[in-house]
Amino acid sequence: MAIAERRPTAIYEGTRIPSPIPTVLRVPDDLRETGDILQVNFGPNHPSTHGVLRLIVDLNGEDVVGLEAVIGYLHTGFEKNMEQKTWWKAITYPERIDYVAFQNNEYVFVAAIEKLLGLEIPPKAVWMRTLLNELNRLHSHLVWLGTSGLELGAISMFWYCFRERDQILDLFELVTGYRMHTRYFQAGGLAEDVPRGFYPECRKFVEWMPKAIDDYDNLLRRNEIWLERTKGIGLLSAEDAIALGQSGPVLRASGVDWDLRKAQPYLAYGEVDFDVPVYPHGDVYDRYRVHIDEMRQSVRIVAQCLDVVEGMEGEPWIVDDRKIVLPPREELHTSMESLIHHFKIVTEGYRVPEGEVYVAIEAPRGEMGCYVVSDGGPRPWRVKFRGTSFVALEATATCTSNALVADLIAIVGSLDTVMGEVDR
Amino acid sequence: MSWGHVPGYVSEKEAHGEQTVVVEPERLVEAALHLRDEEGFSFLSDITATDYLGWGQKGVAGYIGTATGRDLNRPASQGFQVLPELKPKRFSMSYHLLALRPGAPRLRLQVWVEDGEPVPSVVEVWPTADWHEREAWDMMGIRIEGHPNLARILMDDDWEGHPLRKDYPIGGEPVRFSGEE
Amino acid sequence: MAVNRPLREYGLKSERVLWRGKGPSSFENEVEQLEQRLGLTTLEKAVAWAQTKSMWPDTFGLACCAIEMMAIVSSRYDIARFGMEAFRASPRQADLLIVSGRVAHKMAAPLRQIYDQMLEPKWVIAMGACASSGGMFNNYTTLQGVDKIVAVDVYVPGCPPRPEALMEGIIRLHERVLAGIPPAYEVRGVAS
Repeated sequence: MAIAERRPTAIYEGTRIPSPIPTVLRVPDDLRETGDILQVNFGPNHPSTHGVLRLIVDLNGEDVVGLEAVIGYLHTGFEKNMEQKTWWKAITYPERIDYVAFQNNEYVFVAAIEKLLGLEIPPKAVWMRTLLNELNRLHSHLVWLGTSGLELGAISMFWYCFRERDQILDLFELVTGYRMHTRYFQAGGLAEDVPRGFYPECRKFVEWMPKAIDDYDNLLRRNEIWLERTKGIGLLSAEDAIALGQSGPVLRASGVDWDLRKAQPYLAYGEVDFDVPVYPHGDVYDRYRVHIDEMRQSVRIVAQCLDVVEGMEGEPWIVDDRKIVLPPREELHTSMESLIHHFKIVTEGYRVPEGEVYVAIEAPRGEMGCYVVSDGGPRPWRVKFRGTSFVALEATATCTSNALVADLIAIVGSLDTVMGEVDR
Repeated sequence: MSWGHVPGYVSEKEAHGEQTVVVEPERLVEAALHLRDEEGFSFLSDITATDYLGWGQKGVAGYIGTATGRDLNRPASQGFQVLPELKPKRFSMSYHLLALRPGAPRLRLQVWVEDGEPVPSVVEVWPTADWHEREAWDMMGIRIEGHPNLARILMDDDWEGHPLRKDYPIGGEPVRFSGEE
Repeated sequence: MAVNRPLREYGLKSERVLWRGKGPSSFENEVEQLEQRLGLTTLEKAVAWAQTKSMWPDTFGLACCAIEMMAIVSSRYDIARFGMEAFRASPRQADLLIVSGRVAHKMAAPLRQIYDQMLEPKWVIAMGACASSGGMFNNYTTLQGVDKIVAVDVYVPGCPPRPEALMEGIIRLHERVLAGIPPAYEVRGVAS
């Protein structure tokens, strides 16, 4: 059958979730007996840049007829490690879970702590957190675009995207002191004030970035090879996406208008102006379109946040509660209470009241959630991260029905998985 | 809004703006179907298993986590042990549900089991539960009944023990510092 | 090619650029002593030079450090000036294994397999805190240092190390090779 004939024109009817196991594509029995099935191992170390994912693929010629994903090669025991640390020290761990959208992870954990504590965050911290989260969204989408392009053969995308990515990392370094895994959010606000030099640099970036995004889009959007390799591939209908727990760009590319920033506004998202791109076809090309449009909207949000934060010069960046936040160092010379507070917070850690909360945010990949159980002590009792990529990988079997081997890479790439989130 | 009409209802709780409904493990699938079809919670965000072994053994003296300092409602609490609320059984399985409506209403469906008691699978209700339940089995050792493919997912296939349990050690190795003998 | 001058006179500027007037560091002194003791022939030096100038890495990016490893391929940090931008997917074609990221026990077997499939001479850089020593994850599932299963030449600290730090590690590796220091598997086995 020629390739043009096997390409579907519309999204499928009914459901394509394999049964009985939703995440495993099983070779049909008749094919197993008559066909010539080759089982190939896309081992944990493979050329595509997704990290340590292992796919056991059954091939009938070039068609993928069986698929099973094996994960766990990056399991790091985050959750158990976090139970051993105090709340303050545990904040360094979540960043490394989704190591491309690190500040979103940090934020979701800090938001859970603040929900249990019942803190009200000062507006400067709220807006700055929104700004950094959106810059991180840009960072994540750039890495996705660069690596997806690289895998599908659009190799120059890698260098263009990483050029902008370095500019974003320079901004992070300006504000927080480090490029990745910045550890800038504290329970109560930000760790340090925003340096004044950040505003003109960020403004320069915001003026430059829309043109760069247009460049990427012009390179790929009507490129014949890109269209051939992504249109009609990896279809996922809206009902299947919801049943499989997909969220973020994958869900929006399947036609479901759902974005936690609009549905359940957190931080300052209720006060900024932005659109949510939704596309109906549910294929890899639409996921690409969603990512590009989201990048443009992120730049809009960053510009608005920048205007607000610049006007808040001199305002507090962290809550003034000495039971949770370290007092400024100068006070330790004169005030006995500050010294005691400092000592208690550093040695024992602040205590978070007993309870359980689940906080979810719209990370670049989708709904990132953090479930925290506290027993009232200085350490978390249980922390669980709902990694978006963990759930996204469950959809590989559904998206890969009727796919060729070459499409498999495009599909797994479009689900935008980061293995740190999958394996935690 | 009261959740008493959910099949297998045991209790409910509201805290920090979140609602939790506890149901009996035997009637979990019925409750799940009811919530998905009649209440509209079509999205399962997350399934979390929690181990409460050792809960409440260490009291929390005072309550210095409030923004204003001491807990004024318990004036004599400074210095006394305040124990957290006791849990009915050792393990809890929390199903975080979301309805895709504006306002994003969420609900936590919870079941409590002891060590060795199985929990029925909700894979037929929400197919995304497949890997979450495998993780609960792998990490906590809660057996899921009716799961089509209950195998270890994050650890090695021949790993013994369930790492996230409270009686499983953190592992690792002691750190040797240079200059020490 | 002039081969009678000590290494310090051509190339070893890694620390001197930052600090004008600084003498050679302990690393450079050690390398120089070793070089004198080993007494490489001209042919050996030529071979070492060739090995250094196109040492192709293997794509072994595991976690966050992999993102910074991808950053050195990008145009700002440009590893292509060392001839190393050709990241080979097949270990049979690679010389250098940059273990970037945390290694779980489940991944340790594939890591050793990849290492065994590489042809000699081969070098290993343990990039980042997790590969060097387990990093912040001292627990049941993370290998406490990749030197437990492979012989490591250079450890690059950081979490994740900046691309410049990884570059420093790569340059030091080149200097070791130029000095005639054999790859780590000949000098020591794996740590215990």
